[in-house]
Amino acid sequence: MLPQRSRLSVVLFLLPALLLFGGGVLLPIIQSLVLSFFSWDGISDMTFVGLQNYQRLLGGDAIFWTAFRNQWGYLVTCILLQMGGGLLLACLLMTITRGREIIKVLYLMPAVISTTAIALLFQRIYSFDPAGLLNSVLKSIGLGGLARPWLSDLHTVLTAVSIPEGWRFLGLYTILLYAALLSVPQELEEAARLDGANAWKVFTTVRFPHIKPVWATTLIMATTYALRGFDVPYLLTNGGPGQASELVTTYMYKTAFTSTDYGYASSIAVFIVLECLVAVGAIIALTRREAD
Amino acid sequence: MNFTIPTPAILPGSSGASRTADTRRRKLKASKIISWVIISLVLVLQVYPFLWLLLTSVRTADDFAANSAFGLPHSFTLSNFTRAISEGQLGTNILNSFIVTAASCLLIVVCGMTGAYAIQVLDFKGSKLVRGLFLMGIVVPVQVALVPLFIDYSKIHLLDTYQSMVIPLAGFALPMALYLFISFFSYIPRSIYEAASMDGANPYRVFFSITLPMSMNTIITVVMVNAIFIWNDFIFANTFVLTDGLKTIPLGLQNYIGAMGKTDWTATFAAVSITVTPLLLVFLVLNKAMIYGLESGATKG
Amino acid sequence: MKRSEFLGLMAAAALAPSLSACGGKSAEPTAASSAGVAVSGDIKPREISWLLSRPANGAVIQAMTQIAKDYAQQQPGFSLKLITTPDRPSYLQKFQTLAAANQLPELFDTDATPYAQKLAKQGRMVDVKALLDDFGMTDDFRPAALDYQRFDDGSLYMIPLEFGIELFWYNKALLSKAGVEVPETLADFVTASTSLRQAGITPIALDGKDGWTLERYIAYYPFRLSGKEYVTKLKQGQATFAEDTGRAAVQWIKDLADAEAFQDGFSSAGYTDAQNLFTSGKAAMYNMGTWELQSLATEALPASMRDNIGYFTLPTVDGAKTASNEYTAPSGIGAAVNASTFDALVKDFLKYALTVYPKLYAKGGLPGPTTEAPVMPANALPIYKQALADADKVGSTALMPWDTQLDPTSNTLLQQELTLLAQGNLGVDEFIKTMDQAIATNAKKYFN
Repeated sequence: MLPQRSRLSVVLFLLPALLLFGGGVLLPIIQSLVLSFFSWDGISDMTFVGLQNYQRLLGGDAIFWTAFRNQWGYLVTCILLQMGGGLLLACLLMTITRGREIIKVLYLMPAVISTTAIALLFQRIYSFDPAGLLNSVLKSIGLGGLARPWLSDLHTVLTAVSIPEGWRFLGLYTILLYAALLSVPQELEEAARLDGANAWKVFTTVRFPHIKPVWATTLIMATTYALRGFDVPYLLTNGGPGQASELVTTYMYKTAFTSTDYGYASSIAVFIVLECLVAVGAIIALTRREAD
Repeated sequence: MNFTIPTPAILPGSSGASRTADTRRRKLKASKIISWVIISLVLVLQVYPFLWLLLTSVRTADDFAANSAFGLPHSFTLSNFTRAISEGQLGTNILNSFIVTAASCLLIVVCGMTGAYAIQVLDFKGSKLVRGLFLMGIVVPVQVALVPLFIDYSKIHLLDTYQSMVIPLAGFALPMALYLFISFFSYIPRSIYEAASMDGANPYRVFFSITLPMSMNTIITVVMVNAIFIWNDFIFANTFVLTDGLKTIPLGLQNYIGAMGKTDWTATFAAVSITVTPLLLVFLVLNKAMIYGLESGATKG
Repeated sequence: MKRSEFLGLMAAAALAPSLSACGGKSAEPTAASSAGVAVSGDIKPREISWLLSRPANGAVIQAMTQIAKDYAQQQPGFSLKLITTPDRPSYLQKFQTLAAANQLPELFDTDATPYAQKLAKQGRMVDVKALLDDFGMTDDFRPAALDYQRFDDGSLYMIPLEFGIELFWYNKALLSKAGVEVPETLADFVTASTSLRQAGITPIALDGKDGWTLERYIAYYPFRLSGKEYVTKLKQGQATFAEDTGRAAVQWIKDLADAEAFQDGFSSAGYTDAQNLFTSGKAAMYNMGTWELQSLATEALPASMRDNIGYFTLPTVDGAKTASNEYTAPSGIGAAVNASTFDALVKDFLKYALTVYPKLYAKGGLPGPTTEAPVMPANALPIYKQALADADKVGSTALMPWDTQLDPTSNTLLQQELTLLAQGNLGVDEFIKTMDQAIATNAKKYFN
């Protein structure tokens, strides 16, 4: 693009990023890929097993597929909270005039609290005996029948471990989307309103199409973070009870560091990378096609 | 090119009088109340945990054990803070977290910006391929890299150093930063570069005189988003750091875990309160710049 | 394929030859180094490191810090770097990565797990039995403390630094309120739980989050019925849950589940939560070791509990093979000595450390690995002394916790499935089928 660029300048500008990425990310990934064709416990000699790890992954490992389904459940909850909740809040923020700045900062607060503290907090919120915040609130508004040990109930645990992750970065996504909404030209909105469009119509015909590129970027961000989500479920339930909140990532971590089955863990890692690539590809393809 | 954020939206419907102005105003009022209710409710959800943290850190351990964990404490003590400070090395932890976060962010910004410049602005042959390679990095789970990196680091004697934390933290954050910079650079019109080139500016001068000054908002966005994640990183620090003197905050908090997993929770909360404070102060002080950066970064990038 | 070759390959694959070029230092350990504990050469003081998983300000670390300071007076230039990661899963991750990179320090903590046995078999650990014999200290240790650290073949590679017994603590007031007697047999737990629930009392406080606590319960029935035999066979795939002993154990957990023995939502309750539930008088029984004497048998206990607390030891079953004074008596995570860095200095330091350690540790008020009597804390309740006395009377067959016995993959699954079983989400037959299948698949990687 730049007419006067030289080969040297390209190399000089590209080099720092390539070095960092190559040494810090690419090299270990390739090593992992190689490792996925071996059986290795870290301390004995490695043995080449070909595609055996992948066969086990795709064929016989029921826990892996449970974890796979859970990961998508986790993803849906996170996306609903972050993208849905974030967009709703961003729209609401547009309608108020006072206190917006301070509200935005306060919305970001959960993001700075360390995960350990967040896990602990939610353990107390969900607790049943002694009654935690959620169950106490339910009782006090006459819905005591709904009270349950949220993290022990097989039907609620997955949602329960997804919510903290969605919640902590809600503020971040709200601000990103709010900023995008601010950039929607006022004239367009006004014109639509004068044509008699209601708030919803204005949103669907003017606002949303305008912020779509930002929406796609943030959606990619939220999706990949959710597909790699690990620490809150790991700390809160460690995948339990049973495998009800086991995610592919926590399962991979356990396979590597509890079972010391590094080869198999690597093949799970390769799977996660492919899964994310497909998801991102799908998001890009969908938003492009609609844009055309 | 105007890079300021758009002026805050004027209240919808505040101009353009019409026949239905009256009913609309009433409707607006109702919707505004609903907005406020929802916004305030979320505000409580976002802020309450932090207050809870502070309140718990001044409760006695018995009070914490026996009474409802929520609501107002039945007791007040500062001994948790004394314990937290004497049992841990919070000062060192905070300093280390700052060093690691600052170094990683610097590395991310430098590499991200120069890399994006090479790919998007210099646009060499094969730049699409290189971009694809980097973008792939967005989706890689960090846990994959632990064992290979550990072995690599032990070979080149990087274990137990700041670098061993900074390199993977920055490396794994780089793709997203690069992506943000690339999409931001794509908004800078060609004509600016062409004009500069006409004046005889080489790529280095263009970078320092045009691209860099224009990117301030995106830089702030990248730094703030990454600082949050890096500040809280546990997994790399736990894997690569052995010495107490290098432990970051998340590792330092582990010192409050006792035999067989018994934890001095009130002291832990005191420690969390102490360690959250610096980042929170940075947040509050920089809030204008940060929100501004996040917003303009999002719209322009 | 050797590790070094593999690394070369990986590095080459990544087009980064610089990495493989500078990988000189990591020496492969030789099997010969574990054969004896003789060292050649003089004591050359240096810094040695110890990777631990113990509380940062606990009695062991305090004693060892003191010992290292004193030893450095004799050997200027010596220092001991203590690297502790109290959280066990994080510790294991660190320990295993260090082992994989061949970077384990001079001393490291580990339980007598199948993984540790692999390390020992590869000659990476110094034979502690020979070492203690060489020091002439074997007889100073409690036999039970040493036994806990042994592998199945009787070999000893870890030094115990603690000792304790596991007891069932109970709240006298709550038991009498429900008209329940102290359980004498394991079956009594079930009837007691039913009565306690009817009286509106949570029968047993359980820390379900940590896994090992519930895993103790599945071990009780087989231990009473067969001693160590069942689990030794089970972990190698030579016994199954489907046979009588196994089924009895599984059925007992199921019965406890049906009697709602554990608090609701126990699976997400942490260690401190469970203890608080008991000490605040909300749960009637609590299974916990003497390492918690400080919280359970001193005036640290809430005033209302002090007169109400009691304990009983593991109840028995009909036709029991083990005696009533035989139950879980762990000597904590052990300290292993790295064979490849073992030299005159390490040996001399260990000798010094183990000579002075018992007295120093005894000051903390807990039973130690040796016969040195602990110093009772000033605020101890009478029950404290009683527990110490029971620790001294413990029998010769001890219950080995299953989490140190099974291969890690089966162990993880067992902890997960047990939670489901104890919550009533899983039937006895399903549980047996899943677990027998898992052990059949995974055991062979560790035991052959």
